[in-house]
Amino acid sequence: MSKKILVIDDDPNIIDYLTTLFEDNGYEVNSASDAQKGLELVKANPPDLITLDLEMPGDWGPRFYRKMTQIDALKNIPVIVISGLTSNQYAIQKAVATISKPFDKDQLIKIVKDTLME
Amino acid sequence: MSHTLLLVDKDRDYLQAMSAYIERLLFDVYLAATTSETTHMVDFHTPDYIVADPDLPDADGIHFLLKIKSQFPQTLLIILSDEDRLDDIMRRMQLNAFSYVRKPVNSKELELTLLRAKEWHKQKEKINRYADRLGALHKATSLYHQLFDEVPCYISVQNKQYRITATNNLFKKHFGDAIGEYCYKAYKHRSSPCPECPVFKTFQDGKYHTTEEVVTSKDGRQYNVITWTAPIKDDETKITQVIEMSANITQIRQLQNHLESLGMMIGSMSHGVKGMLTALDGGIYQLESGIRRKNEARINKAFTVVQEMSERIKKMVLEILYYAKSREVNAEKISIKKFADNIIETVQPIADKKDVKFIANIPDNLNEFEVDLHWFQAALVNILENSIDACEGDDCQSEYTVKFSVSENKNNMIAFHIEDNGMGMDQETQDKMFTLFFSSKGSKGTGLGLFISNHVVTEHGGRIDVQSELGKGTTFTVFVPRMQVVPKKEKGFYLLNVNT
Repeated sequence: MSKKILVIDDDPNIIDYLTTLFEDNGYEVNSASDAQKGLELVKANPPDLITLDLEMPGDWGPRFYRKMTQIDALKNIPVIVISGLTSNQYAIQKAVATISKPFDKDQLIKIVKDTLME
Repeated sequence: MSHTLLLVDKDRDYLQAMSAYIERLLFDVYLAATTSETTHMVDFHTPDYIVADPDLPDADGIHFLLKIKSQFPQTLLIILSDEDRLDDIMRRMQLNAFSYVRKPVNSKELELTLLRAKEWHKQKEKINRYADRLGALHKATSLYHQLFDEVPCYISVQNKQYRITATNNLFKKHFGDAIGEYCYKAYKHRSSPCPECPVFKTFQDGKYHTTEEVVTSKDGRQYNVITWTAPIKDDETKITQVIEMSANITQIRQLQNHLESLGMMIGSMSHGVKGMLTALDGGIYQLESGIRRKNEARINKAFTVVQEMSERIKKMVLEILYYAKSREVNAEKISIKKFADNIIETVQPIADKKDVKFIANIPDNLNEFEVDLHWFQAALVNILENSIDACEGDDCQSEYTVKFSVSENKNNMIAFHIEDNGMGMDQETQDKMFTLFFSSKGSKGTGLGLFISNHVVTEHGGRIDVQSELGKGTTFTVFVPRMQVVPKKEKGFYLLNVNT
């Protein structure tokens, strides 16, 4: 069974890109364009990995993460932060990785593969 | 001080006797009994004083002495003579002799005369010194006046009551003559002294003070200045006036603000830029993988994304370049109908793609106007695109329209109307829409567009009016004068429209 990735980003073009990229690499992909929808999806159908943008309308990335980790069943889901904010290394301490936009897709895939192998 | 005295008399015994007496009065005495001896002595010793009896054996003594006097005007002549010749001598010599003493000489009278001559000489030397100093002072004063007037700072001198007693040319040019006015009125149009007045501080402590101020010229323009004040003292002790010098740093501050806002703009745009670049990456990845997998649907979609992102990035780069440079309006004449038709041609396909009905209504009879063809068109297209986006982002209406029309207003202004029935804007968005802090996010854009559109319009001498209601729609009216006035203002820089 293929692993599930949830992509959370407010930019539809980027959701499109990541979805295609991950599906091409054999993953099942769901997406949400804001934190609230993202939280609903996580609760309904917990993914194996989440990629998270930081700057979004409504709750921003770190707030989503805080809300998610308050739920026992969900707090261990690995999160990769993908953001255009320059000081993003300070945003979510427990993220598996933090990468800047625009990113190197090969590097991203490698991080995803390494994270999901464990 | 030398006191060289030449004694002239035909009687040599008399000379000897007199010389002994005069030497006691602390003169260096030389003797001559003829005009030729006198000439020799005068040439050799240039005496300060000549005490002489014009009755000389070898020439007309009076004529001779007058000649000596004209050659050596500084030398004081004292004439000794018998009573009967004295009238004639006085008549001929007049004021060329310092004094006339009757023979036989009353020694006291001679002594006093000589002392008076010495005193006169001393005074004369003093006057010469003063004249020299006056000359130097005059030079210094004229130099001071030049400096005062030519220095490219505003200079004013104030007394303790804050009244201006002197101003330099540059001050007069920008703030008026102002002599006798209160400095706070002339500089700042105030009716009371400024708080933290540096002039006041200098009066208090006699030290230099410097502040930065905003002053208002007589025609209402505001300048940033750095001000220095220095005390003016009379006789080294009391401070009677204070001199105030201000350097106009408005352009520097504008440049500083411009650079700061440029930095802020780039900072605020960076998120949007990164989004655009990531989306472009995405398009290219999908293009490349689509070709590899021979997936035509993916290839087509990817190519659209790449095109769109390139277009947006291009627009953003041009906007940054426009913002970074101070740009003048490059106005050209064009028929209003033709100009509007160009815009319609650009915008129609965008509206069609987003399922928005684009209705244009351009009358034929509006004639020509003068605008910067590239940037004014870019400004209007930008607003139209925003209107289309506002419709796309909404889902309350059954049909979305953007209406575009042109009319002539009073005062020879041309008005472009852009009306949409999209999502509308709340008050906060309306307030901030033309500022740099209002930015859309992600790959959609950087928010620089509206700021620049507004700037382009105001540079043309026009303005943009906005009416909007949340949930109902927005109407933009762009006013621009038909003809451009030749630009006369100094090159300025763009500043953030933070407050308006």
